[in-house]
Amino acid sequence: MKVYTLYVPGKTYIHKMNPLTKLLYLAVAIAIPFIAPDPAITMACFLIGIFILGWAKVLHRVIYLLAMSILFISTIFIIQGLYYPGNTTPYLILGKLTFYKEGLIHAMVISFRLVNIMISASVLVLTTRPSDLISSAVRRGISPRLGYVMSSVLQIIPQMATTADTIMDAQKSRGLETEGNLKTRLKAYIPLLGPLVLGSLVSAQERAMALEVRAFNATGKRTFLQNEEDYTVSKAINAIIILALILTIIWRIYS
Amino acid sequence: MKIKVDNLGFRYTGGKERALEGITFTVNQGEFIGIMGKNKSGKSTLASALVGLIPHFFKGAMRGNVYIDGLDTQETPIAELCQKVGIVFQNPFNQISGAKLTVYEEVSFGLENIGLPRNQMIERIEEVLELFGIAHLKDRNPFSLSGGQMQRLALACIMALRPEIVVLDEPTSQLDPLGVEEVYKSIAKLKEKGLTVLLIEHKTEYLAEYSDKILLLENGKLKNYDTPERIFGTNPGIQAPVYTQVCQALNKPKENGLYPVTLKDTIPLLKG
Repeated sequence: MKVYTLYVPGKTYIHKMNPLTKLLYLAVAIAIPFIAPDPAITMACFLIGIFILGWAKVLHRVIYLLAMSILFISTIFIIQGLYYPGNTTPYLILGKLTFYKEGLIHAMVISFRLVNIMISASVLVLTTRPSDLISSAVRRGISPRLGYVMSSVLQIIPQMATTADTIMDAQKSRGLETEGNLKTRLKAYIPLLGPLVLGSLVSAQERAMALEVRAFNATGKRTFLQNEEDYTVSKAINAIIILALILTIIWRIYS
Repeated sequence: MKIKVDNLGFRYTGGKERALEGITFTVNQGEFIGIMGKNKSGKSTLASALVGLIPHFFKGAMRGNVYIDGLDTQETPIAELCQKVGIVFQNPFNQISGAKLTVYEEVSFGLENIGLPRNQMIERIEEVLELFGIAHLKDRNPFSLSGGQMQRLALACIMALRPEIVVLDEPTSQLDPLGVEEVYKSIAKLKEKGLTVLLIEHKTEYLAEYSDKILLLENGKLKNYDTPERIFGTNPGIQAPVYTQVCQALNKPKENGLYPVTLKDTIPLLKG
């Protein structure tokens, strides 16, 4: 069954950590390289991220993600290398195209930040079940309705995709042409929309009823099946992360 | 008296005719009531009214009253009613919340909403998973289950809220024969536990076997409310269980002059 989540199950400390701590880490690890645009600091954030991912035993999954982003990163190098406003020193000449040193260095800084964002986001995404992140957020006061919407979307959209495939197969078996040139393929989507949209509306109503009779609209205080991990360690980690952010800001102001 | 329905009428907003009109009946603690009727006769509307989805979820004009264990459904929110009366719908798939990744957690959905302490939650979840024979599936994703398993999960989710009344709205109409068997084994457990059950079903053999009484609806009105034998004996328009049909054809009534509705009652008659 298709599930749109990149979560890799595991039992390391990183997996057990409070999801909100990881969210805080993500925000700070992205913010620091922007606050302090020193390549060494970006590098430090990057290495910390790699270390955490190694600890959580999910580094191999990140390499796959990074490989997928190579195309995007190479466009940064091409565009910046050719057109960066500060370009003065030619570095590489390929036929009529001249790549400049300044642009390539700038591209490197941007790419590093980008990779850093991906690494930091991976710490959260690869080691946290989406439902845990959402339930932690609901515990901290986010509306349970909003929490439900966020967590159900991850599961219900793949279900809709499966339904769409079924409808498509049914229509193919009755002679609908779904393969061929772009026009034929686009046309094939039109008869898919009616049953899919109407079907989804009916399902949505039925599901709303089923949620309703399971006290979805209860107004009292909710409880949670999953116990939250030990607060004290999480609090200490949160404090370290915030301290790192404050130190970066101070460093930026005085340098 | 567990359920009291008093002159219940309902018209959906935009509907031309009343979906229900002048329905009055009572159900006692522990009774198993079958609900029958053609399509559009108001069966599902009645089910919605029994659990409070009418008037709280569906908009329309409601007349009369429904009392569940003494609570007026018009004045009691569904979140409170659901701990008195549960409902399982036709489509197993649409009853999965989608917010939980495992069968075990799926059962917790309603319990978290009512704010049950965690230790009681675990106790109840394990109990219902065991009761409906799905404990071995507890770590699976709910969407990966078969129809019959999903429907038993839906039943488990409802039963975890510990209602004393369960409404089953055609729980097996979208299942394969194996799934139907599985779900009926679970329904038998509800009956064993002494719950008050209202079952909407087209499969008359099952209705006849389980029901103490059958409520027959026609065009939104209550046509008949009686024992299965009398219902199937006096309403020629409805499809009787195959056992009844055979005994009618062979002219083999029981001692009380009525034709049998279950296999158990049919065998001695046909043995002679």
